[in-house]
Amino acid sequence: MQCGGFRTSYASDERIFDTALPIVGVVALIGVLALVPQFATTYWLDVLNRIGIAIIGALGLNILVGYTGQISIGHAAFLAVGAYATAILEINAGLPFYLAIPLGALITSGFGLVFGIPSLRLRGLYLAIATLAAHFITTYGIVHWESLTKGVLGMMVPPATVFGIPLDSDARVFYLIFALVIPATFFAKNLFRTRVGRAFIAIRDRDVAAGVMGVSLYHYKLLAFVLSSFYAGVAGGLMAHHSRILFPDSFTLLVAIDYLAMIIIGGLGSILGAIFGAIFMTLLPEVLKLGATSLTGVYPNAFGLIASTRDIVFGLAVILFLMYEPQGLSRIWLRVRSYWKLWPYAY
Amino acid sequence: MADQLVFMLQLVITGVAVGGVYSLMALGFVLIFKASSVVNFGPGELVLFGAYVSWATILPMKLPLYVALPLTFAVAILLGLVIERGVLRPLIGEPIISVIMVTFGVASVIRGFLNMTWGSDTRPFPVLFSPEPIHLGPVPVSPVHLWSFVGTLVLLAIFSVFFKFSLTGMAMRATADNQQVAQSLGVSVKRVFALSWCIATVVSTLGGIILGSVRGGVDFSLADLGLKVFPVVILGGLDSVAGAIIGGVLIGVLENLSGGYLDPVLGGGVKEVAPFVVLVIILMIRPYGFFGKVEIERV
Amino acid sequence: MSHTRDLLVRFLLIGLFIVGLGVPPSAAQGVIKIGNLVDLTGPTSDQGKDIAQGRIDAVTYFNERGGINGKKIELVSVEYGFQPPRAVAAYKRFVEDDKVLLVLGYGTPDTEALRPYITKDKIPYLSGSYSGHLTDPRQTPYNFPGGIDYTSQIRIFLNYVKESWTDTSRKPRVAFIYADNAYGRAPIEAGRLYAKEIGIDLVDEEIIPTVLTDATSQLLTMKKKDPDYAYINTNTQWVPVVLKDSYKLGLKTKYVVNNYGIDERTPKLAAEAAEGVMGIQDVAYWGENVPGMKTLMDFHAKHHGGDTHASPYMRGWLWVIVSVEAFKRAGDNPTGESIKKALESLKDFDTWGITPPFTYTNEDHRPTNRARLVMVKGGKIVQMKEVSVERDMKWIGK
Repeated sequence: MQCGGFRTSYASDERIFDTALPIVGVVALIGVLALVPQFATTYWLDVLNRIGIAIIGALGLNILVGYTGQISIGHAAFLAVGAYATAILEINAGLPFYLAIPLGALITSGFGLVFGIPSLRLRGLYLAIATLAAHFITTYGIVHWESLTKGVLGMMVPPATVFGIPLDSDARVFYLIFALVIPATFFAKNLFRTRVGRAFIAIRDRDVAAGVMGVSLYHYKLLAFVLSSFYAGVAGGLMAHHSRILFPDSFTLLVAIDYLAMIIIGGLGSILGAIFGAIFMTLLPEVLKLGATSLTGVYPNAFGLIASTRDIVFGLAVILFLMYEPQGLSRIWLRVRSYWKLWPYAY
Repeated sequence: MADQLVFMLQLVITGVAVGGVYSLMALGFVLIFKASSVVNFGPGELVLFGAYVSWATILPMKLPLYVALPLTFAVAILLGLVIERGVLRPLIGEPIISVIMVTFGVASVIRGFLNMTWGSDTRPFPVLFSPEPIHLGPVPVSPVHLWSFVGTLVLLAIFSVFFKFSLTGMAMRATADNQQVAQSLGVSVKRVFALSWCIATVVSTLGGIILGSVRGGVDFSLADLGLKVFPVVILGGLDSVAGAIIGGVLIGVLENLSGGYLDPVLGGGVKEVAPFVVLVIILMIRPYGFFGKVEIERV
Repeated sequence: MSHTRDLLVRFLLIGLFIVGLGVPPSAAQGVIKIGNLVDLTGPTSDQGKDIAQGRIDAVTYFNERGGINGKKIELVSVEYGFQPPRAVAAYKRFVEDDKVLLVLGYGTPDTEALRPYITKDKIPYLSGSYSGHLTDPRQTPYNFPGGIDYTSQIRIFLNYVKESWTDTSRKPRVAFIYADNAYGRAPIEAGRLYAKEIGIDLVDEEIIPTVLTDATSQLLTMKKKDPDYAYINTNTQWVPVVLKDSYKLGLKTKYVVNNYGIDERTPKLAAEAAEGVMGIQDVAYWGENVPGMKTLMDFHAKHHGGDTHASPYMRGWLWVIVSVEAFKRAGDNPTGESIKKALESLKDFDTWGITPPFTYTNEDHRPTNRARLVMVKGGKIVQMKEVSVERDMKWIGK
């Protein structure tokens, strides 16, 4: 284990894993994940599946907001497009899931391209508001284009089949989801070792200066939207397969806010942060629910009270993190890790 | 032909009346932005708070109006102070996304708190305005809308004068323009922020009272209206008081016209989405709205 | 050395985590688990609160009296904010982890969406949704609406229009005003067909958003068609907006509201605008003189005296009363199937007078075809008369 960085070349600076041990750790983690469905109850598998989907979505949003600095409140709309596109491709065009999901994600990135255009003219707050409008317009489209999306009645999605085995239980969908989470994470991590990733960061830090330096704002801003919405499209397609029923209600503005909370609480501009944030935000309501149900056994009237605490806890979590740990969970993790590594030394 | 004209006129006038309510909400938003460049993404919750507190003081507590109303406004001022002091001040200087998220967080906490204290029942709102419509020519308008419109005009006048001529008003504008320079000239930035949030909460409370009267009851969906504020302030300019008023009216009219003409054709829901389509168009053509200050980028 | 310690600790933690995942909630013997789905924070939360309260109180009441066949009832409650995806997740949990034997459902969008799952899992689902789409045992054998279905209600409305219409020179004109969601839309198609069948002109349909603040433009459009009667199909929170706007515009249309749109609170919320408005009452209002009312009121006063209450509270009790009866009839080892059969054996079952007697059969899951027509007079809800509609099998499942 290294403590401190002694690099002698650009290549070694860019390495994701400095030594062999983290690689072993990651492989072991993947191995453990593969075993989880054998043990876990459906409830927890459902939660884990949702975490997996959230990770992909959060990674996408982080690319756009955390790394490129473009504020977007429209993420729920992209998830919706991805989910419905995948479902429609499977039902109406009969495509198998391994074509429908990527294709759905491509359609979503086309969408992202269109909605990224305002980012060329607007910044910060104005962009945020534009994405807000994009959200409502998209939701309207989904609700009212009933012939395609069945509107508010909900669209049922048939399970994906792999070699004839239908993925119709949480345990099976788990494999699909995490089979995608892993490459998604690595792709994102790798992105920021490349030229494209550096361009994004440059735009975030000082976009005018980046433009002066030769970074084409036009290309890279749109690319950020495209990549981010591609991720959202994949996440949406997975949502379609996980819950197997799609409602416009699954994609409210609150979902977009949840994702923003994920990357902010997790830590903007950090891959690990997106993952932590996704886990945290998905687990939060579950923990509250557990608390509620255990209390209800003892004190039936607690049920009503606990429901409202969800909002309060969410709000407080966001506020407290922003006030005291603006760099989020990833920062806390780094601190814990270096403490652990260096104990009993202080640094 | 005359029928068509009357129909359109009814839509327009209703739109103006409803728009008056939007203007009130937008005013709260603009005031905060004008003085502190903070974007409040939870305007709906502030209105909700106002509606609930005013309901609580009038009905369950049964206080007479002349005690209940000032009490409500006092609580609103308290809320403004708490938000500004507790939450916004530590975040001065943080990137805008953090500030936006924090306002979401505050909105969430207010919501949860209200749910916990008063539950989610729909509470009938005290009748403060007569339900008998007033007829403006062929068009009936409910008094509550009329009063809210008049109220917004009055506020427009007051605030325009305030910001232009009073010392405090000028201090607020100076702070929004450049905090450091303002501080160096002796303006207490902390006080300006606190003041702007308090005014905003008070105005939002007024909006809450009006909305509660319009609807007949208070419940949580009042907050959803909050998002309508954005098309209004984009249209009018994020930091323009006059813009908020005019924008509100325009959006109200637009909504009703699209509701009356497009809903039957497109099957409902157009009324709700039309303001956002307009918002996008405005952002592309004239992002600073009709009356907003054009931001000059300094590199 | 520290490397290995690291690894060991990490693996230990992960191991514990996995084992923790695999521990299902303990399936206690001698307990009957019932799933409870409620909206406490979403658009129907004002009713949800009372419904939840009613259900919890009723369960406590029955448990105080020894439960069912000696077993205590345990409510597994989940709040889902009227968001169907959360309902689906909750349902999965109910069935696979908690192993409930019956679910007390809630909203139309989620109940309708869960239909195939309910049928596959054979879990009786007693819902707060009275959608006509849930009434056909051939399609949805395990769905049991907990009250007179919306399709029957709209037929009652149309029958009433026909009966009260005296002008022989033309047909009566009606309009439908409904919410833009699965609940609002549920009976509309059937309503269109039935109106045509009995010779009523459906001149206009207005869609209102789920969350409604202003209905003026919709009402202005409706005014052009000048309907004599209009049926409003949305919730009690939003109906006053329609009524007030209508009053303001001076519309002469007479309104009839469905069961979830009108109750004791309506006159208070809509004040003058509610005068003369009619509605369908499915469940006794608070304080009505029916046999069970005293029990409910006493229980409520004992456990949370100062709290508000309205008809949804009664509905909460109602559904538990029906469920308990079904469990009693299903005997000692109830299964989904035996409970379903027990429900279908209910014939003229007395629900403590809270509703007209319930009858489910294995061909018809409409619990009743009787209701009361009520009108707001002098600021209060007044009962006009009992109405009913034939159990025409043609309308099953529509």
